[in-house]
Amino acid sequence: MTFLRRQLPLLITFVTGILFAAQYYVPHPLSEQMLTSVSKWLQIIGGFALVLGVTSLFHIHAVKIRRREPGWGYSFVLYAGMVGTIVIGLWHGGKETTDGVTTAFGWIYSFMMVPLQGTMFAILAFFIASAAYRSFRARSREAAVLLIAAVIVMLGRVPLGEHLIPVSGDITQWILNVLNASVRRAILIGISLGAVALSLKIIFGVERAYLGGGKE
Amino acid sequence: MSLAERMLSIDRRIIFLMIGLCTLIPLLYPVGLAIKVSPEVKSVYDYIESLPAGSVFLLSLDFDPASKPELYPQAVALMRHAFKKNLRVIGMTLWLPGTGMANEVVSRIAREEGKVAGKDYVFLGWSPGGGSVIINMGQDLYKAFPTDYNNQPTRDLAVLNGVQSLRDVNYVVSLAAGTTGIETWYVFGKDKYKFELGGGCTGVIAPGLYPLLRSGQINGLIGGLRGAAEYEVLIGKKGKAVAGMDAQSATHFAIILLVILCNVFYFSIRTSGKTAGQH
Repeated sequence: MTFLRRQLPLLITFVTGILFAAQYYVPHPLSEQMLTSVSKWLQIIGGFALVLGVTSLFHIHAVKIRRREPGWGYSFVLYAGMVGTIVIGLWHGGKETTDGVTTAFGWIYSFMMVPLQGTMFAILAFFIASAAYRSFRARSREAAVLLIAAVIVMLGRVPLGEHLIPVSGDITQWILNVLNASVRRAILIGISLGAVALSLKIIFGVERAYLGGGKE
Repeated sequence: MSLAERMLSIDRRIIFLMIGLCTLIPLLYPVGLAIKVSPEVKSVYDYIESLPAGSVFLLSLDFDPASKPELYPQAVALMRHAFKKNLRVIGMTLWLPGTGMANEVVSRIAREEGKVAGKDYVFLGWSPGGGSVIINMGQDLYKAFPTDYNNQPTRDLAVLNGVQSLRDVNYVVSLAAGTTGIETWYVFGKDKYKFELGGGCTGVIAPGLYPLLRSGQINGLIGGLRGAAEYEVLIGKKGKAVAGMDAQSATHFAIILLVILCNVFYFSIRTSGKTAGQH
């Protein structure tokens, strides 16, 4: 059993990791055919991951409802929403419109999901304004620099700012293109080197956390 | 409690009201200040402008309804420009919750521009896998999407004549609200299949994409509602983005004012505290 639970996954990871890292540099038709097949597998696995995610969500909220945990009413609303949408979606074959006519599924999408998600995102503006008023203070030199940069960028990104202070647009461009881009690039390089190191550790079996921490 | 302390602990509903009014009033009474076009938005426009009629333009609408206010106007402006240039348009999404919205914008703009589904444009829909969908499209577009969103076999569509994979696409623009998005299109797509790539994104993720822009990994970037407004100005068809710029101006100024006031009160409290300490 140890072979199936430990050694076989490590072997598969090692072989596929080395194979597909090398595949990138080999433009032979056979190598390309292999990539085509495997990318299709990945799409299929992606579909299963979606099913797994939905099943897991159903399970978590079913437990909450059964045990009457605090906030179980919200879980019930989630259940009702998900089951209702899935049933109606399947009934209409996943289509929002049929022959130009909006289906019930399309109605749920256009008049419930779109405005609800839009509202959730829109209220951010109010909370950001409130948070900025309460906490965006020049307590130190670093905070003062951040504050000044933020004010300049906010000015330079709107027509009124550019109208009142014409140079604000150019300074904003400079901040974004030079200061911001260089710092972001440094962070990206760091993240990428970390990703390469972690990938190598996984391929060579040093990092095994992805196998789960179950007993042998 | 001093005035400064009272002002710092002001009821947040007053701030909410202030932001609400700053959004609402300019929408009702627009001023229409001039919008300056930035080089990164102009680059996307110029590239589409340089494409000959019949070129293949792929627009990936990688966002959900939460980002609709910023990215939907970008999609509208890009679609209008592409159709005006008589490009063959392929629409798709890598974000499942955005599928219905993406289909709606592609088919609505196509209808308004007098374009025919299957002949001038196609909407492929969504497929699971994120980056692997891009690799699969790069290897064989028809294996990634055997049918379009309306269940028409993609091999039979006139709009895809001569298109076998992403290598045959002239220009890809990803309108992204996060991951999966522009970076994914670069890493799994452009780097291997050598098409030109542009990007559009929400204002909040735009600064993170400037390294890609500066290194030429993307040839242009449309950032947030401002970017959409700039694109609307470029194509000469002002829409929701231009209309929203006055509201954005007012809210930005309101937040700047709040930040300044907050710091004035903060330093006033600090100074009075020091003075009291000396006595």
